[in-house]
Amino acid sequence: MKRYFKILFILTAVSLAGWGCKTEFPIDEDGLLITERAECFVSNFELLGPDFQTVRTKNAVIDTVVQTINIEVFFGTDLRNVYPQFSLVTDAKLTPKITGKVDFSDLNNPKVFSVISGNRKVIKPYTVYITVQKP
Amino acid sequence: MQRSYFKSTILLLSLLVGLAACEISEHPTVTPLKKEGFQTDVIKRTLGPNVAGLDIEFAFAMALPSAQGKLVSAQVEASIPGAAGTYLESKSYYTDGSGNDIGVTVAQPFLNEGKVTKVNFSADTSAATLRYYYQIPAAAKGQKVSFVFTATSSTGETISYNMGPYDIAKMDMVLDLDVTDGAKSFISLEDMKVYTAAEAAQNPAKIDLVYLYRSIPNITFNHALVAPSADAQYLPGVTLPAGVNRSAKISKAWNLRDFHLARLQFSIFIDDLDFERLDISNSPDYALNMRSEAGAWVETADGKYRAYIYINSVNNTAKSAKISIKRYTMK
Repeated sequence: MKRYFKILFILTAVSLAGWGCKTEFPIDEDGLLITERAECFVSNFELLGPDFQTVRTKNAVIDTVVQTINIEVFFGTDLRNVYPQFSLVTDAKLTPKITGKVDFSDLNNPKVFSVISGNRKVIKPYTVYITVQKP
Repeated sequence: MQRSYFKSTILLLSLLVGLAACEISEHPTVTPLKKEGFQTDVIKRTLGPNVAGLDIEFAFAMALPSAQGKLVSAQVEASIPGAAGTYLESKSYYTDGSGNDIGVTVAQPFLNEGKVTKVNFSADTSAATLRYYYQIPAAAKGQKVSFVFTATSSTGETISYNMGPYDIAKMDMVLDLDVTDGAKSFISLEDMKVYTAAEAAQNPAKIDLVYLYRSIPNITFNHALVAPSADAQYLPGVTLPAGVNRSAKISKAWNLRDFHLARLQFSIFIDDLDFERLDISNSPDYALNMRSEAGAWVETADGKYRAYIYINSVNNTAKSAKISIKRYTMK
């Protein structure tokens, strides 16, 4: 009986080890896990000025159906030097990458950022529309 | 039987190892400066960049065995003569149980003779710690300064301690300038002063910024620093004196409460290097909604000056603010 348990234990351990070594989730070119998640949306958006303080007057309005972000910023905001911050659904990533200040000053040509889902099969472009407070 | 013998051996061995570990080392890691006799030691008490007009503070300790005499005099020689506020305290300080520095007068008032600041002891003492305050002169900007601390005993023995060299910053600093909307609102970085409209009209080429406060419905304007060249929408209701039209680059900053300018508890220091590496070439010529404890980096139109303007306080009712400036000359 004891021997039977021993054999069963060893078999279970070996099979677990084998399962654990499986490369089910490969990584992409950025070293991020490619998962099975197909969700693809922006959950929050923030815009910081050169002093790293928010420049928005109220919360950004994110429409995940038409894929737009509408945000109003303070009068006099230096839109050439702002830091956007996107919060994305789990496992998703953003392109183009944000590596520093971004120039949003061309209000007639709003910037577009794409969200790529965790399984890297769904890509949704989000357009950021900025309006400046008016007196 | 064999197991018991083994256990006892292990126990004995571990006790022996423990005893060996507790043995007091005959080779202490800290070597005294000097085993006995006349000794001095100095510590620098101030931190941050050395800016002209500020003090560099030292604590100068000296002692000798009472059998070998007493202290007669102490002096500090700076490589560059200090400004008028340089002095050596005639009190010796010790720290009481509550952490307070307690001063006991041990010497006559100090004498400044060029590079040398000296005191003669009046108390019969063989140990003292004096404070030395070197007020950095404008002549020392961009140079290095070093100090020789010397103490003399009643036997004529002198002992010296060298400190430095210390870099003296090139930047200038001015504290607590009052700016008031519509009255004293024209800021000159060249002069590091604030002018009225009439005064600005006399020297229009020196005016780099205009301070204004506006409370405008639907927008957040408040306290602002705006270059005269800025778009009229950022200078609402401002009539610029004739010739006041210079531009400037302005970049807002937050959480940058320089210790010298703010005089708060934050040990943040803006040094020459910060100005040298500053790149605000892509910044606008205005900064709106400036709050108390905020600041702004500024570069003049000709690139001659870079400055950091710190907002010490604001007053919405009086439409005024108190500002302090650190300025670095680039050319």
